[in-house]
Amino acid sequence: MSSLIESDNNPMTTGCPSGAITGTESFRELLETAPDAIVIVDRGGRIAFVNSQTEKLFGYDRSELLGRNVDILMPDRFRGEQAGRSNPFLDESGVRPIDAAFDLHGLRRDGSEFPADIGLSALESENGILVIASIRDITERKHFDESLREKILELERANLAKDHFLAGMSHELRTPLNAIIGFTGTMLMRLPGPLTAAQEKQLRIIQTSAKHLLSLINDLLDLAKIESGKVKSNPEPFVCQEAIREVAETLRPMAEQKGLGLDIELPRDDIVIETDRRAFVQILINLANNAVKFTSQGKISIELSRRHENGNTMVDVSVLDTGIGIKPEDQAKLFRAFTQVNAAANRPSEGTGLGLYLCQKLASLIGGHIDVRSEFGAGSTFTLSLPSKTSG
Amino acid sequence: MPARILLIEDNPDSMDLMAYLLEAYGHVTLAARDGEAGVEIARRELPDLIICDIQLPKLDGYGVIRELRRRTDLRNIPVVAVTAFAMAGDCDALLAAGFDGYLSKPIEPESFVGQLERFLPNYLRSNSLGFDFDRPEDAQHERPEHS
Repeated sequence: MSSLIESDNNPMTTGCPSGAITGTESFRELLETAPDAIVIVDRGGRIAFVNSQTEKLFGYDRSELLGRNVDILMPDRFRGEQAGRSNPFLDESGVRPIDAAFDLHGLRRDGSEFPADIGLSALESENGILVIASIRDITERKHFDESLREKILELERANLAKDHFLAGMSHELRTPLNAIIGFTGTMLMRLPGPLTAAQEKQLRIIQTSAKHLLSLINDLLDLAKIESGKVKSNPEPFVCQEAIREVAETLRPMAEQKGLGLDIELPRDDIVIETDRRAFVQILINLANNAVKFTSQGKISIELSRRHENGNTMVDVSVLDTGIGIKPEDQAKLFRAFTQVNAAANRPSEGTGLGLYLCQKLASLIGGHIDVRSEFGAGSTFTLSLPSKTSG
Repeated sequence: MPARILLIEDNPDSMDLMAYLLEAYGHVTLAARDGEAGVEIARRELPDLIICDIQLPKLDGYGVIRELRRRTDLRNIPVVAVTAFAMAGDCDALLAAGFDGYLSKPIEPESFVGQLERFLPNYLRSNSLGFDFDRPEDAQHERPEHS
């Protein structure tokens, strides 16, 4: 009979049930190579076996442990009587999962403690049931958990600080713009008195620049909100035709001012789409606004159609213009932030350089995308494609 | 007949701008530079309309509207928030707090007075003088020198 326990020269082991454990050398080796400290305990709570991980973990020599009560490996508060419950090292009711219900600790020889996970299982032996406890030092894991929790809190705080910063920034930028746009306006309204042609021209430049700055601020804030995941899509069913008429009416004065036509070509039967109406309208206003901006003669058309793709019904809204068009090599750059594709004349273009970038972000937020087809010099078509029902 | 309009605004430029526009359309303005002074002047003067900034010293716009709505003598005066808080949700929060209207800064000088006059009874609107200032051609009308 080979013993599991090296009891060679240890008086403490005399009388302990070590000899009763029938095992093989390979079983012993198996326990030796386990990554955890393994302690086998008899019904009386006496230690019958420890592997070398146990020595390392608790700082005892094997000889100091064998035959001793297992209580010496745990702080007072966990010991059976004081804790008012069964000894956690001994509760052999089947295989216990690693227990997170209460914080277990191991007690080292030097009196220091470490947080531990303890797995228990029962082992049948000739002398009755023994309990195998595998003990793992989870100091490091606890440490990771803690720093992870701290990191999450830190991120939440940073995110809050960013929101706060954006709101403050928006407020602080708008306040001086209020005076600039406001008093430029009062002068252009000639409230303080008549204007010379040159004064009027220069005031219009201030007004346009200030309004440009304002749209830049608005776009940036919109973008920051979308990127932080703050903008939620609120799908609701609505008739596409109605929303498109609304967009056309918003843009019509601007188009007419430039002498451009604005046509809408809508199917007679209502097309109902279920998506975020505000995002839908905002995208189309931006696309149509661009079309008007980059077209000097001809017309803008908005078209609506429906098609089937992979069993889904897709709705396409296209904004067509007869403007300057976009070179093929420039088309890919269109949807990037702050890249404006300039016409051959290289004239300074209006807009913030964020419009299409924002549109594409909004489109993907509502499950769609925007495509462009364009012939340089002949005009462009921007198409918003959306599933007629937003999934999820 | 001109309206008596109380402006509660701490930024001097914004105060000047709003007072200038309202006076150009014939209204009489009263000025308060902080929320507490605003409530005090409202109580003393019982204006026809109150325009209130939100970020204010001593008592902010939310505090002002709470005070105004608490007092029976002031409860029915229309109060419009004119604020640079223009993020999504700001408008809804202000209306929920009891403001009758909301305008974001920068204001649109061409339509500002017209937008506010919607909160005044007809006889106190400037278009009762013969102009419809919401119409651009009338808004362009030359006004006498601001005094």
